[in-house]
Amino acid sequence: MDISEEIVGNVCVVTAKGRLDGSASAPFVDRLDKLTARQSTFLMDFSGVDFVTSAGLRAVLTTIKKVKSLNGAIAICGVQAPVREILDITGLSPMIRIFASRPEGLAALAK
Amino acid sequence: MTRFEAKVKARAQDISDLTERVGGFLHDGGVDTHATHHVGMILDELLTNLATHGGAADADAAVRISIEKDRVFVEISDNGPPFDPRSTPDPDVAAPLEERGIGGLGLFLMRKLASDIRYDRSDARNHTSFAVSRR
Repeated sequence: MDISEEIVGNVCVVTAKGRLDGSASAPFVDRLDKLTARQSTFLMDFSGVDFVTSAGLRAVLTTIKKVKSLNGAIAICGVQAPVREILDITGLSPMIRIFASRPEGLAALAK
Repeated sequence: MTRFEAKVKARAQDISDLTERVGGFLHDGGVDTHATHHVGMILDELLTNLATHGGAADADAAVRISIEKDRVFVEISDNGPPFDPRSTPDPDVAAPLEERGIGGLGLFLMRKLASDIRYDRSDARNHTSFAVSRR
């Protein structure tokens, strides 16, 4: 999986691409964990994520918990339909704001 | 080609490579994106379970997949210790964030998204099969 980040105003946009599975989950958590030292508002752009497993969901859950424990804000955008179905079934959807597109997410998180 | 067969070692990178190939096979076979995703994910969950809880780093599995008219049918045979994937408890998916545990989601997803989940133990191997409906 490829992960890149970019600062847009007060928002750290994290773009993930590829497969969020068992081999990608630890690098994902580490990367986000390091970013929380400097940033508090995150938008995860998942438009390029075409595959998730429970290990990937645990990485997302761990990240949500970490950001919220620091009183930060986190949202996700561009989630592909099969991945969205997994978030719904596992009850993760109510735990994070989900936006259809990156501009919508940015508009909602901008201060 | 509507049939896929492979042997895999239960190791993270091998599992990842296999499920990626399976995704390509299903996509090329005209299977919709939901069923393609879910078959790969369930396969990953079962093989990862074998790798992490199977107690045998060198466990191996044989995988057979058939694209049928209304569904995708998957059979897995492995040499890990006896394990019935239907037997694990469901996690509480309605629990609030603070109380959410991190375990049990994979096999829960399998039970939610697959049908005809079967398990049997013979010849010192686990035989697991499941089907995912095409949309």
